[in-house]
Amino acid sequence: MIYIKLFLEFFHIGLFSFGGGYATLPFLYHIADVQKWYTAKQLSDMIAVSSITPGPVGVNVATFAGFTTSGILGALVATTSVILPSLIIVIIISKLLEQFKHNKYVQSVIYTLKPAGCGLLAAVGVDMFVNNINLFGMILLAGLFIASLTEKRDPLFYLAVSAIVGLVAGFFNLTA
Amino acid sequence: MEKTLYQIFKTFFKVGTLLLGGGYVILPLLQSELIDKKKWIDDDELCEFYALGQSVPGIIAANVSIFVGYKLRRTAGAIAAVIGIVMPAFISIVVLAKILEEIIQLKFVQSIFWGVGIGVLILIFLAVKEIWKKSVVDKFSCWIFFITFILSACFKAPPASLIIFAIFMGLWLQFSKKIERGEK
Repeated sequence: MIYIKLFLEFFHIGLFSFGGGYATLPFLYHIADVQKWYTAKQLSDMIAVSSITPGPVGVNVATFAGFTTSGILGALVATTSVILPSLIIVIIISKLLEQFKHNKYVQSVIYTLKPAGCGLLAAVGVDMFVNNINLFGMILLAGLFIASLTEKRDPLFYLAVSAIVGLVAGFFNLTA
Repeated sequence: MEKTLYQIFKTFFKVGTLLLGGGYVILPLLQSELIDKKKWIDDDELCEFYALGQSVPGIIAANVSIFVGYKLRRTAGAIAAVIGIVMPAFISIVVLAKILEEIIQLKFVQSIFWGVGIGVLILIFLAVKEIWKKSVVDKFSCWIFFITFILSACFKAPPASLIIFAIFMGLWLQFSKKIERGEK
């Protein structure tokens, strides 16, 4: 039964992928090998598309795999399955945190987790910078940076400005 | 603003719609929506949820949303938040599934995507700056930051291993404090 298979595969991803985003990719490539719901080529297209469609790449691929194999119901099953482990685990941890918030060990772990989380995000930023930037990109980035210094702006501002600049830059072949 | 389930759903739906270039921009988006505009949570809490969201399995953006949703309206809030964050992704893929391959070959789409990638970079930079203020508060936390950053950026250490490292450091720190005070 395809729905049960979709459920099992994507629940598995939700349960075992640590570190989010690209941590789900090895699992997704594995599915392409084993289940033939999509090809490796389709998956790499999907990952590219994920960058321009809203949402985390893991959710996008789950929806896509479910949809291509068995329509809207399949999409629903796969998407729910990839999220379900998070929902269960995070609610349990939230309940425990309420109870043990004042425990010294819990506080100490939260104190060390915060800079680690910050360090991981900074590393993602550096990685994206190294892999994607060119000269014109640097100029755009510098412009956005200066804009961020003058006042606190809505994130939508940066996304909209950079999308428009990207579109225009594309006409002049500055994005390659 | 009142924290009704519908308001929670709507807020996360908006954030989900703007969640471009991978889930990492969840942090600046939530800062803008939940802290600056709605004042539902504060910087410290969001920073904590973000760190915890990376420490549990699954998709980080979903994890953070569930933490925040639970904080706002317990289990029902968590469900409202996660549905809100996932739904835009779900709808856009279902609508585009059939024409995905054609879309990514369009030049102007690639150009927009390239631009948004730069926008995402600045958002990540601003987010790091904000959570730095809340998380790197002394020498010890500064060390943790640089160790995780260098191991991840230069040596591609799996995030899970770095999270486990941080958890052990936290436990060890508290344990050594107890020993110093002569407790057992």
